[in-house]
Amino acid sequence: MTMDGAVVVPGISQGAQWVDEVLLAGPANDICFRLTQPADGTSVPIDRAKLRRLVRDRQSELAEAGLRPGGAAALRLPPSMAFVTHLLAVWRSGGQAILLDHRLTEYEVRRAIERLVPQVVVEPERPIPAGLRTFFEVDTAVASYSGHPAGTTHAVVQLSSGSTGPSKVIGRTAEDLVEEVLRYTRIDGVPLRGERLILLPSMVHVLGLVGGLLYGLHAGVELVPPARLTGDAIVQAIASGRTPATVLGVPFHIGLLASVQRPPNLPQFKRMTTGGELVPASVSQSFEIKYGVPLANMYGMTEVGVIGTDLAGVHRPAIRPAPGIEVREVDGELHVRRPESPYLGLSDPARWSDGWLHTRDAGAVDPTTGLVTIRGRLDSQVSVGGLKVDLTEVEYTLGTLRGVEAAVVVFDGSITAYVQLRERRDRDHLEADLAQRLAAYKRPRTLHILDQLPRTTTGKLVRDLTVLRKAAP
Amino acid sequence: MTLMPPPPGRAEIIDWLAGLGERPPGAERIDSMELAWLVHQVEQRYGVELPDDQLERIATVDDAVAVLAEVLTSHV
Repeated sequence: MTMDGAVVVPGISQGAQWVDEVLLAGPANDICFRLTQPADGTSVPIDRAKLRRLVRDRQSELAEAGLRPGGAAALRLPPSMAFVTHLLAVWRSGGQAILLDHRLTEYEVRRAIERLVPQVVVEPERPIPAGLRTFFEVDTAVASYSGHPAGTTHAVVQLSSGSTGPSKVIGRTAEDLVEEVLRYTRIDGVPLRGERLILLPSMVHVLGLVGGLLYGLHAGVELVPPARLTGDAIVQAIASGRTPATVLGVPFHIGLLASVQRPPNLPQFKRMTTGGELVPASVSQSFEIKYGVPLANMYGMTEVGVIGTDLAGVHRPAIRPAPGIEVREVDGELHVRRPESPYLGLSDPARWSDGWLHTRDAGAVDPTTGLVTIRGRLDSQVSVGGLKVDLTEVEYTLGTLRGVEAAVVVFDGSITAYVQLRERRDRDHLEADLAQRLAAYKRPRTLHILDQLPRTTTGKLVRDLTVLRKAAP
Repeated sequence: MTLMPPPPGRAEIIDWLAGLGERPPGAERIDSMELAWLVHQVEQRYGVELPDDQLERIATVDDAVAVLAEVLTSHV
């Protein structure tokens, strides 16, 4: 089925009608979202007919603001119906969506816009209130920027904390997104039509975006963001319906559920699936004992989407590559087959070469079973609440601040910075400057100012944690 | 009627936060994940939901002590 107004763009091998065919098709009265009103806690269903109507309205607004087929729109929105409808409207207009996490600073957003020249930028009209919402009510402002077409034919462009200083830019085509959505349909244990997905990760990032939003729309799964990010609110979301419910989250959310003191009986709770780093065995055991449902694990990357899963929780810590995904191990590093480099404006053979993406994850592939074990990062990327942060980006940004001679940033339980100054500056001012340039989740928890950073005899900065800890006053 | 325990002090809050993972010694600032964890702990131990406008006031451990003292005392 195709709705009116979907644009086919020359040069994009899969026209924008993929949105109608893969995401918006289905009975008009299918419930796509069930939202909780913050004011009184009542539940608001959004069905497919309403979603289609909202998407069409957004398309008109975007066109009026100057978005043309083949142009890009930057969406700087938190998870919200505004995000969902603008994203689908951009794609339906034959455009490219540049996804900017709403927690990025003005500085980071400005740099992204200068680099990616969108035709329009969609932002919240008012600042997003603090709190523990997982889904927001947002009024949007659409600003017109340039008349340039997008630099590439990717449907979605995302920024990832970069090892070379500024963020990496990752593009994925519509075909690639559709392929991932269909990949999910072939994995045993994913939520099925008529079931519910309690959605905790941000849908601006790959797990929530494809594993939650796009798969949910495609499969006819009801998406239910809990009213708040607390254990009780997640339990309430599961208990709010009778149909089977899968919770999609990151390890932090397992901790929330595992420590709910007296959860009610939840016969509809089917599974909890998390992406990101592995959880300690004690947490996973306490979760499984408390709820009696499998704790499933997924492995994926912004560049590829889902790479492998263990949805029955029987292979932990290993995962089985998802259908159609080929993983190999080269010198202890996992590579994933990708015909084209996902990186925009970057040609780094250490990241992609000869049809293989170098994940920078250490790991092994069992030659008999094909199961993949991930053993941690080979570079300076760390995970903060499921969000990826490259310590090199933090270090680079610290180095650009006034008065900073050199900086070393390490992960010592949390992001920790050691800074040597060339002029007198106090810590508060330095931290305030950094807050202008780096989103809060990327910033060091602790910032040590040293007279001299430890160096080797050849003058290189020392990164050894023991040495750095000793050098701090 | 069950008597609500007294609001947590600084040491108790630091102890709750440590349940989330290792904290740098002396860390005063509370990040967004820790804030979520803190609110969850309050819900579990006191059965009280902290409103968003109160959460905006919590940036450090001392802020948490002050806000929780205020909110939890008013619930007694």
